[in-house]
Amino acid sequence: MSEVTTVATGWGLSFVVVATYALWVVGRGKTIGRELGIGGREELEPESDSSKPADS
Amino acid sequence: MTQVPDSRHMTATTATRVLGTVALVAVVLMGLLGLVVSPADVVQGQAVRMLYLHVPSIWIAYGAFVLTSFSSALFLFRSRHRHDGGRHHDRLAGSAAEVGVVFAGVTLVTGMLWGRVTWGTYWQWDARLTTTVLLFVTYLGYLALRRLPADPVIRGRRAAVMALISFVNVPIVHFSVDWWRTLHQKASLSVGRRPEITGEMYWTLLYSTLAVTIVASWLIVHRYRVIRLEELRDEEALEALIASRLREDDVQA
Amino acid sequence: MLREALLVARKDLRVEWRSKVTIGHVAPLALLVLVVFAFAFDANAGLLEFGAGGLYWVAVLFGGTLLIQRAFDVETEDGNFDAFRMSAIGAPSLFLGKSLGVFIQVVFLELILGPGVVLLYNVRIDDWILLLASALGGTLAFSVCGVLCGVMAAGLRVRATLLPLLLVPVLAPVLLAGSRAFETAFGVRAEAGWTWASLMFVIAAVHTAVGVRAFGFLLEEG
Repeated sequence: MSEVTTVATGWGLSFVVVATYALWVVGRGKTIGRELGIGGREELEPESDSSKPADS
Repeated sequence: MTQVPDSRHMTATTATRVLGTVALVAVVLMGLLGLVVSPADVVQGQAVRMLYLHVPSIWIAYGAFVLTSFSSALFLFRSRHRHDGGRHHDRLAGSAAEVGVVFAGVTLVTGMLWGRVTWGTYWQWDARLTTTVLLFVTYLGYLALRRLPADPVIRGRRAAVMALISFVNVPIVHFSVDWWRTLHQKASLSVGRRPEITGEMYWTLLYSTLAVTIVASWLIVHRYRVIRLEELRDEEALEALIASRLREDDVQA
Repeated sequence: MLREALLVARKDLRVEWRSKVTIGHVAPLALLVLVVFAFAFDANAGLLEFGAGGLYWVAVLFGGTLLIQRAFDVETEDGNFDAFRMSAIGAPSLFLGKSLGVFIQVVFLELILGPGVVLLYNVRIDDWILLLASALGGTLAFSVCGVLCGVMAAGLRVRATLLPLLLVPVLAPVLLAGSRAFETAFGVRAEAGWTWASLMFVIAAVHTAVGVRAFGFLLEEG
């Protein structure tokens, strides 16, 4: 493997792993929230930007 | 963490939205600095860019470990007067451990790839990599303990003791492996020694550490909140179970 | 406290004496492991002699883990760990007693493994004192660490897999130190054998202190 490929692989893998984990955490929060019934009422708001997937 | 989570986005609050945005920006900057702006090393070539991820990841892996251990100690010994019975410490311990294991994994992968280019092999039995592998598995054991079905406080205590045992053990591991490898390298040239890092690379490294720390903090806060949600859910499930049992008794009576 | 600990240990050893699991099952298994290593290394005498120190401790790890499992399985009836947990004997005594019981059983295991390694791998013993001291230190460390991890996994359905996962990282420095110390004692390597032996005693002491303090927490109903 050339140096550039190695660096790209390393950075790429690291980003994928961390991003996947982040998405998993946030997603799990939403799932459990839905299970608990929290937030159901607020989703009736018209200007919903809840279509944005990954947020903070 | 004392703010009520926004109901639409569950684990988000204004504070963490700001933190998250900062994190994203910081990471983009880190990418630019690490991959484009900073120079290649005279000796290592492009491979030095791997260190901009590898070293901060080590810092988080071990830092999170320390955080888990401290929180565990607080949970065991300083919970008595807290209104929540110390659950805050327990959640923080668990959250930090999970983030720690992710970054320990990143440390290992980036370390192996770096080694492939610099040393010619994916693995070298040096103190840092070997201890990190053991730290990684230690984390996995700790997380396995946390997943056992049990009363949260009991389970938390058990995990906390494990964290403290590990806190004692990991330095011993590092010391032993270091001593072991030092004894070996007396005879031969030290192939595994990491070259020094100076100048622009040094500042890039410092900045990367900051960026990664921000990302890790964001992750820990969110994981903490998810743990709290999980606890809520388990409590509700238990209450529902008890309620249905009581109803059964009523019916039968 | 010590007298209670001795009571606990004596009870465990009596159970072991009646069932003869250490001698009957575990020791033969550990000897088999030594044989399998020879298969793995293609009976290369040089390699086996060089690696004998480490291979010995791997076999001890394998057999010893089974013994620790058993030490807690005997306290469990149908997954019920309560009798042990709610025993009138204090937690520190339970910890010390269990550790002593395990220690003696592992010693028996090693009394069989030791000659096994010497005979099968053709090692010579240059330094008997170092050998015995490191065996003692390593076994002490193994026992206390094992009991600590063993109680955490006790009574659980997943205990067979959880115990090794918890135990091996904790024992890693002991295995490292034991291997190096034994190699020095076998004359295969001439380095720092006594430092390694001392390290094992330090590890044993540290974990004994942790265990005495923390065993109570680990006995809580889960």
